[in-house]
Amino acid sequence: MILGIDIGGTHTDAVCIKGKSIVSTAKVLTGDDLVQSIVGVARKLDIVYSELDRVVLSTTLSTNAIIERKYAPTGMIVSAGPGIDPRQYFLTEDFHLVDGAIDHRGREYIPVKPDQVVKTAALLKDKGIEGVGIVSKFSVRNPAHEIRIHDLIEKDFKNISLGHTMSGSLNFNRRLNTTYFNTAVTPVQVHFVEAVRRAFQELGIVCPLLFLKADGGTYSSSAAHRLPVETILSGPAASMMGALALCDDPDTTTLVLDVGGTTTDIGVLINGVPILEPKGMSIDSLETLVRGLKVVSVGAGGDSFVCLKDDVVCAGPQRKGPPAIMGGSAPTPMDALSMLGECDQGDKGRAHEAISVIADRLGRDVKDVSAEIISVLVNNIRTKALEFIDEVNSHPVYTIYEMLHPDLVVPGQVMILGGPALLLKTYIEEAFQLKCVVPENAMVANALGAALARTTAQITMIADTQLGKLVCPELGIDEEISRSACLEDLKVMGEKAMKDNAEFLGLSGDIEISILEEQSFNMVRGFSTTGKNMRLKIQTKPGIINEWRSR
Amino acid sequence: MIKAKRKTGLIFFPAYDWEISPSHPERKERLLYTQDQVMEEGLLDIEGIHEFKAGLATTDDINRAHFCIPDVSSCITPSHNVSAGGCIEAARLVLEGTLDNAFALVRPPGHHAMRVVHGARGFCNINIEAVMIEWVRKHYPRIKKIAIVDTDCHHGDGSQDVYWHDPNVLYISIHQDGRTLYPGSGFPDEFGGPCAQGMTLNVPLPPKTSDEGMLLVMENLIMPVLDEFKPDLIINSAGQDNHYSDPITNMSFTAGGYARLNDMLHPDICVLEGGYSIEAALPYVNTGIILALAGVDYSYVREPDLDPAKIKEDPRVIEYINRLNDKLLDLWRNRGSRKRPSGRFVERSRDIFYDTDGISETQKEVLRVCEDCPGVFRIDTHASTGYYALVIHLPRGACEKCREQAMKWFDVPGDNFYAVYLQDMDRDKYTVKIL
Repeated sequence: MILGIDIGGTHTDAVCIKGKSIVSTAKVLTGDDLVQSIVGVARKLDIVYSELDRVVLSTTLSTNAIIERKYAPTGMIVSAGPGIDPRQYFLTEDFHLVDGAIDHRGREYIPVKPDQVVKTAALLKDKGIEGVGIVSKFSVRNPAHEIRIHDLIEKDFKNISLGHTMSGSLNFNRRLNTTYFNTAVTPVQVHFVEAVRRAFQELGIVCPLLFLKADGGTYSSSAAHRLPVETILSGPAASMMGALALCDDPDTTTLVLDVGGTTTDIGVLINGVPILEPKGMSIDSLETLVRGLKVVSVGAGGDSFVCLKDDVVCAGPQRKGPPAIMGGSAPTPMDALSMLGECDQGDKGRAHEAISVIADRLGRDVKDVSAEIISVLVNNIRTKALEFIDEVNSHPVYTIYEMLHPDLVVPGQVMILGGPALLLKTYIEEAFQLKCVVPENAMVANALGAALARTTAQITMIADTQLGKLVCPELGIDEEISRSACLEDLKVMGEKAMKDNAEFLGLSGDIEISILEEQSFNMVRGFSTTGKNMRLKIQTKPGIINEWRSR
Repeated sequence: MIKAKRKTGLIFFPAYDWEISPSHPERKERLLYTQDQVMEEGLLDIEGIHEFKAGLATTDDINRAHFCIPDVSSCITPSHNVSAGGCIEAARLVLEGTLDNAFALVRPPGHHAMRVVHGARGFCNINIEAVMIEWVRKHYPRIKKIAIVDTDCHHGDGSQDVYWHDPNVLYISIHQDGRTLYPGSGFPDEFGGPCAQGMTLNVPLPPKTSDEGMLLVMENLIMPVLDEFKPDLIINSAGQDNHYSDPITNMSFTAGGYARLNDMLHPDICVLEGGYSIEAALPYVNTGIILALAGVDYSYVREPDLDPAKIKEDPRVIEYINRLNDKLLDLWRNRGSRKRPSGRFVERSRDIFYDTDGISETQKEVLRVCEDCPGVFRIDTHASTGYYALVIHLPRGACEKCREQAMKWFDVPGDNFYAVYLQDMDRDKYTVKIL
């Protein structure tokens, strides 16, 4: 039995799965203390706790900690060498630049100066800083400088994050941000896991605890302890994975709309797989290397504030309290739906009053204006969805083959999730001119997505046979490789490395390894081939666990 | 977050599945390390810098700039459609106002491809800048005067050839002196055709010229010439083989020098040309150019092995360049004095060698000198591939007399030609008559 819990901004949802069926669901309001919300929702479930095999949490913990800056002062020791002036990227005064430079092939050309590092560490320690991130440019090609700095200061700090372990991707600025956030939220995550464990023990829940990541996969709490930054923005990932679990027709490209009160999240499922944000997620307007699902938000939801701008009906992007039917004062799309006879809850009289203010000003009747409000809302969503699809399809490609054989995303159906899903179905169907699906358990899609997501991990293998060097930054591998190695050898090594390190990566259950990217170039100097430069990205396939799929 | 002063677009197309041959300088990995550097420096995360997908240039686009013999598909591969298409995309984004400037970081290159194409020369099949310029002139008639500043180490004899007779396209090339490097042309006396005097300006620099010498040319020659010409569009053919580490040339520019050059020039569009020091130069030069285009500080960009003292010019080189600048500026300012009267025909004959494909071509060109328009011209071209063809170029703004002449040549081409080709720019029509 699996318990999935999704802690959203407003509600905390839980869903319990046994085999292929949902055995219990529950919902509570999210409070300030997330541990209390988790325990509260777990208590409401009608299940025997000792039967649980695992609990998966999708939390806003690290997201909130970063956005609200609720973390202890965090130090950064950075080496960059020439390029863009790295000081432009420093987020706080606790970022310190030290000497050292590595080039794009991972060759050192300015060494680390131990004295300077030790002095810098002393400055941070004197300030009472306990967590430090270490980042050097091109550390994913050669982690030696980060490791050297780590070894020099290890004894002085409680938690240290190294840039190359965050992600194997290139991008120095994103590596800085990712490492900084990871270091900052580590104590927050550790404290939280301890509190949840204690509370669960009291309830008699002793099974493994997993966390949902932004990429729609899960990982063990020990891996989450090491890389808590991967849990940021797991909310939209939960709803995409929920949509995937509830999608009966995975062969059809599906546009997913998760319509909430304030916003609608838009994503797409292709061949039963959600798509990833190519460079990494952004949080608090800062770019990171955190692998995550490509989802956009539009400020259009059931509670969007409706008003007139130059006698034109507008809906959103902001929300100004609940709908009138629910006791609010300003008109909202929910009130319009009520006037159109789509929903019977709440105080219809208040809705009529709120919409009348607009209808009177336009000299039109309430029903007519209500229809227009919904049309404006749905069109806002549609415009954003089309932009989203356009963006996916205009992604640059780097080979002639891909240029001549474009793999365009064309949605064949729309799946609608969220509170107003059913009420909006016919309107969305008409606007999009596509079949719309509102799955039965749409209300708990997020918790379901968390419960059913597979564990995932990604590693990068970079081999430079001219230098005889193999690096896998995520696993801290930096070793020699045979000068005659080829791409096939690298694949075998990569798959083995992933399996051998499954526990470290937080993997369990069905592990299906797939190659995400592969490149192999002959390195030519003068007129002869002197080696190969090979790059491989290997992942465990994200998706829904097999037991559920075999329904 | 770093903010760019200008909205800059990058059309990156490294063509990882295209090469001339596995050990050729123009091979698959050429832009690999550049991509690594651009990604690691996070240039695409800078607010204001965006990446765009390349497009595909069509046969019509190519036929506006070239006579491909026997036809386009015989002379190019799809890679050329993409690299030319990448340039067109760059131009489109700038001219429609989405961007302030753009860099088509694409391959294969193009500046050795001439108006008549029988195959590849100097690693180039079609002239990607020319295909782009002709696309711009068709779609944006407001763009009248265009300047190409070619900073590749090799003389861009192809671009010079395409615009030799065009009074509205100023082609300026700085390059290593042709007495010491392929293609062996690009001297001050190559100054444009009879109706386009001064619209070609060649600045052959002595081997070992470094940033100081190059920037003197920019400051004292190229910028004053551009200030006078007042182009509506500036294109930098941004070859990067003047770099001190380039394996097939002998110059000493640095990444910082290339960045400074672009900072002075403010091109609307940069197009990658040559540059074969794929590890030691391209990653840094391209980073410098992108930052300079975007108006972001590039002063910390430098090569790991840079030793400025080692590559500094001999003072005699600087003296030589100062004299050359004076001479060329004087020549350019007196360009109008060599005009010829209307109606006369001027002939020239040339032998052209396609080093990449091993093709020899003989051309006989006849231009109708005209005071009312740029003048119609015909080229009888005979290549070792066996093709003997007549091509006729009727320029934009052609007068009635030149049009009559073109039709006369087209209707009665003479014997032995395989086919006659007519490029009618005003009517945007390309006609082929197989004889």
